[in-house]
Amino acid sequence: MKHILRALALAMCVTLFAAAPASGQERSATKQGFELAPKSGKKILVFRPSVQVGSQSTGGMFEPNGEWTDSAKRNLQVALEKLQTKLGNEIVVAPEAYGEDAQKLAEHMALFAAVSDAVIEYQFFRGNRLPTKKRDNKEDVFDWSLGAGVADLPGAKDADYGLFLYNRDAYGSTGRKVLQVLAMLGPGIPVKSGEHQGYAGLVDLKTGDILWLNADAAMGGDVREAEGADKRAAQLLEDFPGSDLGQ
Amino acid sequence: MRALLAIAATLWAAPHAAAQQMLPPPYQGVYQPQGVDEIGLWREDDEAEKELAASPLVIRDEALTAYVKHVLCETVGDDRCNSVRVYIIREPTFNASMSPNGTMRVLSGLFLRVRNEAELGAVLGHEFGHFESRHTLQAFRSRRTGSDVLAWGALLAGMAPGYRTMRTYQDLQLSVYGSLFRHSRDQEREADRLGVAYLNRSALRPQAAGDMWQHVMAEAESSASVRGLKKPNFNAIAFTASHPPNGERAAYLTELAASDGDARDDGAARYREALATWMPVFLDDQIKLNDFGASDYLIQNLAQNGWTDTLWLARGNLYRTRGTQRDFIAAAQFYQNALALNPALGEAYRGLGLSLIKTARRTEGQAALKHYLQLSPDASDAAMIRLMLPEENSQ
Amino acid sequence: MTHRMFRTLTGAVAAMALLATPALAHRLRTAKEAATVAGSDMSVTPDRDWNRLSMAPGKHAETWTLDGEQLNDVTFYGGIAPDEPLVRERSKKRDPLPKFLQSTLLVEIPELLEGTYRTQKNIASFELLSTEPTNFLGNKGVRFTYRYTDDDALTRNGEARAAIVGGKLYMITFDAPRLYYFDKSIEPARALMTSATLPGGGAH
Repeated sequence: MKHILRALALAMCVTLFAAAPASGQERSATKQGFELAPKSGKKILVFRPSVQVGSQSTGGMFEPNGEWTDSAKRNLQVALEKLQTKLGNEIVVAPEAYGEDAQKLAEHMALFAAVSDAVIEYQFFRGNRLPTKKRDNKEDVFDWSLGAGVADLPGAKDADYGLFLYNRDAYGSTGRKVLQVLAMLGPGIPVKSGEHQGYAGLVDLKTGDILWLNADAAMGGDVREAEGADKRAAQLLEDFPGSDLGQ
Repeated sequence: MRALLAIAATLWAAPHAAAQQMLPPPYQGVYQPQGVDEIGLWREDDEAEKELAASPLVIRDEALTAYVKHVLCETVGDDRCNSVRVYIIREPTFNASMSPNGTMRVLSGLFLRVRNEAELGAVLGHEFGHFESRHTLQAFRSRRTGSDVLAWGALLAGMAPGYRTMRTYQDLQLSVYGSLFRHSRDQEREADRLGVAYLNRSALRPQAAGDMWQHVMAEAESSASVRGLKKPNFNAIAFTASHPPNGERAAYLTELAASDGDARDDGAARYREALATWMPVFLDDQIKLNDFGASDYLIQNLAQNGWTDTLWLARGNLYRTRGTQRDFIAAAQFYQNALALNPALGEAYRGLGLSLIKTARRTEGQAALKHYLQLSPDASDAAMIRLMLPEENSQ
Repeated sequence: MTHRMFRTLTGAVAAMALLATPALAHRLRTAKEAATVAGSDMSVTPDRDWNRLSMAPGKHAETWTLDGEQLNDVTFYGGIAPDEPLVRERSKKRDPLPKFLQSTLLVEIPELLEGTYRTQKNIASFELLSTEPTNFLGNKGVRFTYRYTDDDALTRNGEARAAIVGGKLYMITFDAPRLYYFDKSIEPARALMTSATLPGGGAH
């Protein structure tokens, strides 16, 4: 019922935040007490990094580009390996999901997005904090979860943590964002993007608790240069627990 | 505008005689995307289809899906329809689309707007026409060059950064609902033409295309007039949004239809049978949208093939929900009509009982509710209804 | 499709207008302290701290949440008069919502909420799961449950209680994603519902 209003409120947060990037707005948080050491022997599962690459025209249209997509697919493996070494722990790619598994995964992705929205809107954004979340902030509490249902997601049995990467782009594809993140860490595929919202979250695959979240609603800007792309990727995965990306 | 109409007039006046023989061009066979744009579009579409397949809104009924595919094949021919994947989405609006990689999306609201296989085939054929002519690719290219700025204004507005509302909408529309591209008028004409051409060659009645078009216009007018609006919002219907002028369209659709096809079967009985289990659900989805004019029009339009218990029940619920005193009296009659056709229709007794109670016929109303409980003892609201009966009422 | 788009646009414009007025902060609703809700005399006592959102969905409605209304949403409807919709209409003319009527029976309240959700969201996937008698605000009331899939692709469960007192509709609804959040928050939501009182409400 209130989704439209909420959406507008979030839009306002985003706009205000984008206008004043130095206002001390939080972008990421870690669950109290959670630590992930480099080379801890823990496995991190990345969900369905499907691939789409294209460019952005002046009018703001995403133009899918098949050849880029093909080369991106070839490069994905390389990028993953790079990512893995930079993230400090072992990365496993989730198996392709079909049927009910795919539905379950899609619903969890949607929940992850909704939770990320809520975190940005009601805990990170200073002007709009919920009173109870304000208190949480003071006490350094970051208590959000996707629930224990994540344990049944495809591939979850074989890993400790799940890395959810979610993006809302004009074409509704989560895959493109994932690719961008990976590609930017990798061989520098020229991915152009006009996207603005990117969420990355590390989730405990037994409890569903969000251990680390980088929910940046203002990743915007016209990242047309490789340099800008690198910056963006670093932004999304900065402070990733156990990684040396933030430094 | 005037110039456009003039062009349109010449375009459609000229091939008058030839129109009667209008048949589809020879099928080009299985198509593979070519060039950067098209290959990219297909890739993206494959991704979207994957998301669609996992959507909670997809109706996973093999029989219904197979039936729609069957009607598509009957319309466009087996050679053409083979590679198509049909997805039916629970969405109470009138639309269907076909995307470049061969995914056909049918929104459930469509099933209330067609009364037979020929009309269903007309819509599916129209969409297939866009697909066969690869209009999406053309639309995509023209969009990029900005030659169609007005038509794309709404879509671009949806991508304005910061408006999450719109973004969410886009997410759903483009991944689940699919790329419901707005085609240009000329493309619509071409698809219309192909749609009728398929029907001409099929065993179905090609005049159905023109019929259905008229019903869609009439529904919009009915909706507007009940709401006290001067003009129907034709833009609200996807099929009319950027389409050729209404009068022109109805006329040329009829003109293009092979005249000897008029006597053909339109498959009304088969359609009704195939939709038997879903029709009550889709009707319910419609009447709960609080659009009295459109809903009442749709029910009566479907009833042109004969009233059924389902149609009377839906109409009773529609009137009871609007809730003027007159409506309750009308509703009671509609429920009784439903029960005359199917005395075991418990829900009709429920509606009848509630309507009677509201028109101060409490005893009769309670009797009807009692019938409801006898027929549907496990109804989700049985305990509530029981409270309205005399025995339990004296606590 | 365009239909939906235009509806959304209208909604966005309306919401912008709302937002143009100075934003009020969300308020804390402290555990064990009674609070009146939705501009009415209806009063509830939470069993833990809740947040009251500054933006109300309607003239006689108010929303509380624990983690954000997309994750757990309790909405109070405080005295909806006959011929009023439950929440603010986007457009009275073009997109009217169903109205609570003088003739509306208690057993029809679930249908009213269903019609409001379906119309407002333009969705088809809404299912009423159960409707039972209950005592609410010291009156004969109705308790019902439902499920729907929203435009953010999440399926939500809902539970509500309602009563008609003095010709007006009083209702409390709870909506949350069926994944995790419904179960997580249903107990505190029920605590709100059972704590609800209305002065002079239990006169029967």
